[in-house]
Amino acid sequence: MTTDVEDWKDDIYGTDIREHIERFAEDGWQSIPAEERDAWFERFKWYGLYHQRAGQESYFMMRIGTPNGVLEPGQLRVVGEVAKEYATGPVDNPEFGDSWADFTTRQSIQLHWIKVEDIVEVWDALESAGLSTVQACGDSWRNIVGCPVAGKDEHEHVDALETVHEFQREFKENDRYKNMPRKWKVAVTGCVEGCGQGEINDLAFDPATKEGVKGYNVRVGGGLARNEPRLARDIDVFVPHEKAAKVADGMSALFEAYGNREDRYSARIKFLVDEWGAEKVRRVLQDEFVDFELQSAGEGFRESYSYNSGRENDGHDDHVGVHPQADGKNYIGLNVLVGRMGTEDVLELADLADEYGSGEVRLTQRQNVIVTDVPDENLDDLLAADLLVDYEPDPSPFMRGSIACTGTEFCSLSIVETKNRMVRYARHLRDTVSLPDEVEDFHVHLSGCTASCAQPQIADVSLRGMKTRKDGEPVEAFDLGLGGGLGENPRFADWVGERIPADEVPGAIGNIVETYETEREDTETFRDYIERQDEDALEDLVEPEETSYEDPMMHNTKRTWYPYAEDDDMASSPAPTDRNDVPLDQGGDDAAPADD
Amino acid sequence: MRVNAYTTLDIVDATIRTADDEATVVGVANATSARENPEHVQLRFEADDQPDGVARHVDELELVPEQARDLAAALETHADTVEAAQADDADD
Repeated sequence: MTTDVEDWKDDIYGTDIREHIERFAEDGWQSIPAEERDAWFERFKWYGLYHQRAGQESYFMMRIGTPNGVLEPGQLRVVGEVAKEYATGPVDNPEFGDSWADFTTRQSIQLHWIKVEDIVEVWDALESAGLSTVQACGDSWRNIVGCPVAGKDEHEHVDALETVHEFQREFKENDRYKNMPRKWKVAVTGCVEGCGQGEINDLAFDPATKEGVKGYNVRVGGGLARNEPRLARDIDVFVPHEKAAKVADGMSALFEAYGNREDRYSARIKFLVDEWGAEKVRRVLQDEFVDFELQSAGEGFRESYSYNSGRENDGHDDHVGVHPQADGKNYIGLNVLVGRMGTEDVLELADLADEYGSGEVRLTQRQNVIVTDVPDENLDDLLAADLLVDYEPDPSPFMRGSIACTGTEFCSLSIVETKNRMVRYARHLRDTVSLPDEVEDFHVHLSGCTASCAQPQIADVSLRGMKTRKDGEPVEAFDLGLGGGLGENPRFADWVGERIPADEVPGAIGNIVETYETEREDTETFRDYIERQDEDALEDLVEPEETSYEDPMMHNTKRTWYPYAEDDDMASSPAPTDRNDVPLDQGGDDAAPADD
Repeated sequence: MRVNAYTTLDIVDATIRTADDEATVVGVANATSARENPEHVQLRFEADDQPDGVARHVDELELVPEQARDLAAALETHADTVEAAQADDADD
C-alpha cells in the first residue's frame, strides 16, 4: 500500500508541477483549494518551495540550489536583489532586519516570506542569472555538496567540480530521477581533507586512487535525521573519475527501485543499507544497475581528513580565513554567523567579490561564504573592507564554529528558537569564555528538533531543542551532546545533558570549557579530551547554570505566529495575506505538512 | 522518540516504579496514528531517566478506536475533577 505522498507524486510531480505553480501565482493564494493544499505543498517542494509553519499561511520558504555552493559571478547580486524585493514579511527580525539570505548546511540559499503571487517573477530573475530552485526540496536529487573550493584547492586529488557539474547536468537538470522514494543527498569530495562531509550523505564519492587511476571510493547510506544517525557505509567500490556518473546513476536507480515507498519514516536509503548490508548493496548495484565490472575500493585519503574533525592536524577544519589557491590567487573565507546575511550585506559582498576577486562567491557546509580568485595585490584592500568587521576572516572560535537551523521562526517541526539564540550564545561565549590560545575551532551546532538540520551530532557541543520546566514554568531547553566530529574516524556525539533550560546553556558550555582547559594534556583538542572521558565523567562535565546571559525567548515560541512580532499571539497573525502582506478576510488552519 | 513540534507532550512528569525502586522523572508522550492506513492509535511514552537496572526504552499502547475514546473520555473526566478541586482550593 502506497502513501498519500506517493499518490500525489504519481498524479503530478517533477517539471509537470511548474505550470500549476504558475497558475496559482497568476490567480493568487486563494486559488489553491484548501482541501488540496497538503498535496500541492508536497509537490511544490520539488521546485524548492516550502510552505511556512502555522500562523504564517500563504508564505513560503524558497530554496535555491547552488551546486557545490558555487555562485558564479553575478549570481550573488541577483540573490540579494531578489531577497530585498521579495523576501520580506509583515514583521522584521530584530537581528537581521526586513530581509536576508540564509546560507545552509547543504551549500544552498534559503529565502523566507515568499508569496506565491511573486514566484514567477522570482524565478524569472533567478533563472536569468542561471540560478534554479529545481529539486531543491522534495523526494529528489537535492543540492549536490562538496569541498567548497573544488577546482581551486591546493589539496585536491581529483577535480570534484567537474564531477558535480556532470551530476548536475545528468540528474538535476532533467526529470530522470524526478520521483525518488525520499530525498537523495549526494556529496562529491575531491580534496584530501574531507570537506564534502560524505559520511552524512545518502551517496558519497570520496577521493581515491586505484592502480594509478584517480577517482572515488563510494559510500552509501549516511544521514542524521529521525534520531537514527548513520555514517555512510563503505560498499567497496572504486570508480574512475570519468565513470562516477555511471555509479551515481546506478545507485539512484537502485534506490528508486528498492527504496521503501510504503513508510516515509523508513524510506531513506540508510535503512535499506541497514537491512541489506553493504555487500548486498554492492551486489545488486553490480547485477542490476551498472553495465561494467565494479572495481574494489581504491586507496583513499581518510587519514588526512581534517574538515570538521576536531583533531590536531595541519589541514582545514573549515574554510574561514585567507588561503592560497592552486593557481596562485587566494580565497578568503568569511564567517557568517548562523549563515544569515542581511540583503544590504549580500549586495555589498557581491560588490567586493567583483572588485577584488572574479565575482565568484562560494558557500560552505558550515554556513559561511568564500570570496575566491583574489590576487595577492588585492588582499589588503579586501581585508580592510567594512563588511569584514561583521563577517570576519579571523573570528572568535565561538563565532566561527556556530551553526543553527531555521527553528520556530519559520519551521513547522522545531520546538525552540534557534538562529537568533545561537547569535546571542556565540556573542556571549566570545565575550565571557576563554579557550586555550591555540584553539581556533570550537563547533557548537544548534538544531531545533530531532530532524538535525544543523547537523548537531557532528559538533564539539551538540544542542538539540527540548522543553523543560523552570520555576514551575515550561521553558525552551536543549539536550546537550559532546564529542561528535568527522575526520578519519567520524563519530556522533553522546547525548549527556538533558533538558537544560535555554538560559543555562551558555553557563553549561562555559563550565565544560573551563574543565577542559584545566584538565587537558598538552595541546589536546577538545574532541580528543572528550573521547578519553568515560560516560560518568562526561555527565559530570555538564553543569548548567545561570550567568550574565539573559534569554528573551524562554517562552513557547512555537505557539507564537512569529516570535519577534510585538503581538506574537497566534490569533494575532495577519496570515494568510495577499502579495502585499495585507490580511485576507478568511482565516483557516493551513499548517504546512511535516516533511519528516 | 523523535521530538518535534508535532509531539503531543514534549515534557510530562512521570513516576516509574519497579519491584524495588522508584524514579520521579520527566519524559515525552505522543498520541498518534500511522500516516497511512492506520490500524490503531499509538500512545507512546519515553522517560529521560530510569530506575537502576532499567534500560532506556519506549512504552507504546496500541489502542483500537473505542479504547482510545474511552481513554480520552476518562482523561477529560479526571481533568475536570482536578480543575474543580483546584478551583475549590483557590476559593479557600
